[in-house]
Amino acid sequence: MTPDRAGVDTEPFFLGSGADRRFCLFHRPAGTCRGAVLYVPPFAEELNRTRRMAALGARRLAAHGYGVLQIDLLGTGDSAGDFADARWDLWKQDLDTGAAWLRARLDAPLTLWGLRLGALLALDHARTTSVPLAPMLLWQPVAAGSTYLTQFLRLRTANAMLGEDAAAQSGTKALRAALQAGETLEIAGYDLTPALALAIDALPAPDAMMPPVPVHWFEVLGAPGQAPGPAAARVKAAWEAHGTPLHVHAVTGAPFWATTGISTCPTLLDATVGAIEERAHVV
Amino acid sequence: MSYDERALAFRCGGAALVGIASVPAGECSRGVLVVVGGPQYRVGSHRQFALLARHLAENGIAAMRFDYRGMGDSDGEERDFEAIQDDIRAALDAFIEAVPGLTDVVLWGLCDGASAAAMYAPGDARVRGLVLLNPWVRTDDGVARTTLKHHYRDRLRSPEFWRKLARGQFDYAGSLTSMLKLVRTAFAGRPADQGAAASLPERMHHGLHVFTGHTLLVIGGADLTGREFCDVAGSSPAWKRLVATPRVSWRRIEDADHTFSRRAWRDQVAEWTREWVASL
Repeated sequence: MTPDRAGVDTEPFFLGSGADRRFCLFHRPAGTCRGAVLYVPPFAEELNRTRRMAALGARRLAAHGYGVLQIDLLGTGDSAGDFADARWDLWKQDLDTGAAWLRARLDAPLTLWGLRLGALLALDHARTTSVPLAPMLLWQPVAAGSTYLTQFLRLRTANAMLGEDAAAQSGTKALRAALQAGETLEIAGYDLTPALALAIDALPAPDAMMPPVPVHWFEVLGAPGQAPGPAAARVKAAWEAHGTPLHVHAVTGAPFWATTGISTCPTLLDATVGAIEERAHVV
Repeated sequence: MSYDERALAFRCGGAALVGIASVPAGECSRGVLVVVGGPQYRVGSHRQFALLARHLAENGIAAMRFDYRGMGDSDGEERDFEAIQDDIRAALDAFIEAVPGLTDVVLWGLCDGASAAAMYAPGDARVRGLVLLNPWVRTDDGVARTTLKHHYRDRLRSPEFWRKLARGQFDYAGSLTSMLKLVRTAFAGRPADQGAAASLPERMHHGLHVFTGHTLLVIGGADLTGREFCDVAGSSPAWKRLVATPRVSWRRIEDADHTFSRRAWRDQVAEWTREWVASL
């Protein structure tokens, strides 16, 4: 056991029952509680690929005194429902449920910690929640919902080409039209409904999703000296014009949300703890 | 039939492990333990393992999925499928503790999870059957043979290769060294029964040969790993005898890929599993 995990205790449980059953993992804070963190997971197969990094991050934060709740959203992970039942707004309700559970146990401001599309879900949630928030942590946020949807649709086009399934070989434009016409598409084993797809497609760009608290935005770059993508700079300019600070942290490591095998990015874990600790000292 | 799902926390070698048991209402004596393979955690690609467990529980068969040490939500150092025998035993203990009345367990594994299950099964009398999907039997010599067959043969036919050779740009020393290394690996010959450590296909054969329960093999016809397994299973008289015994059944979905990534394939696998487990 490394010192970073000393005293961390993880409890898996189901919150609710029947169709409301949501799988949760609670990482109890080691020592005096310094804050509560709600983890907002990424989309579809990215959730699976990043599970190890999410666990490592949650334990690191717990070892530093933060109580962390990971929640599987409706129709994902071990939670009840099929992926086809998932809706963007129901996912936001799940975050409300998770936040309420945390507030009942820990008397501390809530940090939303989102990964990839989960970063956009966290930003969208932060705009409407009545829960008092602490600065947010966003790991490798997707640049825009519509771009992300296009990339997801491309998985189907690529699979169709590999599988020589001529009938399924259509571009993302045709797939979007099918969604518009009310068709559910099976993509990489997931049933993507028009309701969920079009909600993601219609998300405002992060520039326009200004959160009520400062944000730490982390980007993982393949080599030292690379510059973060243009999205971070654009968002920073937009938010800071309205007085919301955005701290961009660039680290070097593997793109763990996209790799075929499980990969981890220790520098991201260090930077995350660094950012949250710095905040604790300032406060 | 209704079922309940329970989140389980248990320990293995000092690490905290996480599992989920899907438990049918009423009495249940048979269970399926999913041994996760490759880069997946207990939910599986496109939630295959979660949906499988629910399908089984709806039909009166308990199912458990878990993360071995260093994977998914479980604590501990990362490890590969060759080092998870203690994890499988700890999960089996936790499963039986969570579902009193459980007497028969089938291990169900995909890819290298299937290989780990096959090697574990003979050592635990509680294991009654094995369901193995696209089992992983890749070896260095298998890779070396494939590389020699395709890469070097193609290079000798490539005009660029001969042009480089003519211009003196070809790295004779480097290429010869790497080619000789591959030749040595590919044709090193099988280790003797005693002495050198047995290869993965040999250990898989041993596990399945010694195991007295039944085995269901499920192959995705479009999966390279599944095809490699079929090659191995047809490679020697001993393997041919083994897979021809009535203890071993085969199912195949011609177009299916490695993770059975379409609902029709995934549901077919779940239904075959249910039928076969119920028939034991």
